Amino acid sequence: MVLAEHLANGLIFSSIIVLGSIGLSLVYSIADFANFAHGDTMTVGAYSAFVAFGLVGGLGGSVLGLPFGFFVALLVGIAVAAVVAVVTEKVVYEPLDIDSIGLLITSIGVAFIYRALIQMRFGADFTRFGIQPLRPIEWLIPYGIRITKHDVAIVVSAAVLVGGLHLLLQHSDLGRKMRAMADNPDLARVSGIRTDRIKLWTWLIGAGLAGAGGVFLGLYNQLSPRMGFNLLLIIFAAVILGGIGSVYGAMLGGFLIGMINQLTPVLSELGALLPLVPDEFGIPVGIEYANAIAFVIMVAVLLVRPNGIAGEAT
Amino acid sequence: MSDDPVLELSGVDSGYGEMQVLDDCSLHLDPEEIVCLIGPNGAGKSTVLKTVFGLLTPWAGTVTYHGRDIGGMAPEDVVREGIGYVPQTDNVFNSLSVEENLRMGGVARKGGLDRVIGDLYDRFPLLDEKRSAKARTLSGGQRQVLAFARALVMEPDVLLIDEPSAGLAPNTADDVFGHVQAVNELDTAILMVEQNATKGLGISDRGYVLDQGTVRFQGDAADLLDNEEVSKLYLGG
Repeated sequence: MVLAEHLANGLIFSSIIVLGSIGLSLVYSIADFANFAHGDTMTVGAYSAFVAFGLVGGLGGSVLGLPFGFFVALLVGIAVAAVVAVVTEKVVYEPLDIDSIGLLITSIGVAFIYRALIQMRFGADFTRFGIQPLRPIEWLIPYGIRITKHDVAIVVSAAVLVGGLHLLLQHSDLGRKMRAMADNPDLARVSGIRTDRIKLWTWLIGAGLAGAGGVFLGLYNQLSPRMGFNLLLIIFAAVILGGIGSVYGAMLGGFLIGMINQLTPVLSELGALLPLVPDEFGIPVGIEYANAIAFVIMVAVLLVRPNGIAGEAT
Repeated sequence: MSDDPVLELSGVDSGYGEMQVLDDCSLHLDPEEIVCLIGPNGAGKSTVLKTVFGLLTPWAGTVTYHGRDIGGMAPEDVVREGIGYVPQTDNVFNSLSVEENLRMGGVARKGGLDRVIGDLYDRFPLLDEKRSAKARTLSGGQRQVLAFARALVMEPDVLLIDEPSAGLAPNTADDVFGHVQAVNELDTAILMVEQNATKGLGISDRGYVLDQGTVRFQGDAADLLDNEEVSKLYLGG
């Protein structure tokens, strides 16, 4: 497999990780705890879209090889993940008068509940959206890149969502309030910002993006009740690498971790790729060590920049 | 304009958790005046401001604003009543620009935000010059000016200021006290806590000396500065 294909796969995987990382970072910056149910919120989004796609998947027309019904299902996945997260905040987290460590542990319990409910309804087996797989895009094959239009749809959709979030954060009243609250919650209240409302909006947006990430993960790979949980550690790595609490850091961290993850097999082919290095040189690690490599690089960066790449809160 | 106090604390007890700080504390602020709270560390000066602004709920007594009880009202509602607050530390949004800081100060306004911000740029030209700069890049004195301006966007008739000169070089502190007086000239009554009692009382109309959560002395600022006992116990004289 050539470097170009690893880079292309890295871009696709990064798109999913970025969506998960942003949501986790947003919630951390404003709700002030590490939400271990975030990965399972992605799963909630994926399965909600799965159900919706079963109902509306037959809608005519398609974009990038995906039926219109898929995009309707995507919106349903985003909405359900957002609503479930907000309900959880109002019913579980908000009434608990405990510190951030207590909330973190509670969120582990919430994650188990989400997962158990999904498994009870859909079983523990893998499943897929009922969408016909596509052949790789023909004109990219000579360049060694074997990606499908579905993969392009994932990258484009993620870029649209991230771009939309950027516009919201920088150019809307809500976005400025979110940034102000993440920066200094006490001063936000003193300034007259209704911080409880901003917190709910943050849950909605963060979980909605996680839901979208879950749907794309299901499309890229397949659905299973553990799909989000399995991704959670690497999403945490991305958020910490970028600078915990920083939304733009989470974007960068998610991109880097996703790329590193998919580029891991390249380590065994380093000699062939680098000049002045013997062709047979390589570090024999496969994709199964991708997460470990990502964490090694995260730790190495933190040794140099303890607050992550982006440092302070956004 | 009525001579009734714009702000009044009567017999207020307040504190943090189970630790009582204010003990039967009573004081008032008349329209358009500057009142300075002085006293030793831990006397409860900042606690007075936090209790007025709703960051702490009074355990006993009343806090009235234009005769209406606001004790225990949430800070975001106190702002809408017409009271501004400049905390001692962390009083600007570091990651936001100067312009965004000012806009955050006006989130509760019904309208006229651009006009007020324009007026503030006229009054504080240094903010106009740095309107796109992140607050974290400002000097200590500039940050303090931005903190005042942020609180003034709501055009409050009472401004609570917690130690405006804390951590500033003497020259910069003098500038900041000048800004406090300038704000007062906008018909804004000011209740100010100040560790530098001589400077604080120097720009004030009246003063209160707090000790162990209770008012020990009160009167015209000039009289307090001349009071031998106050000077000996609290001004290091």
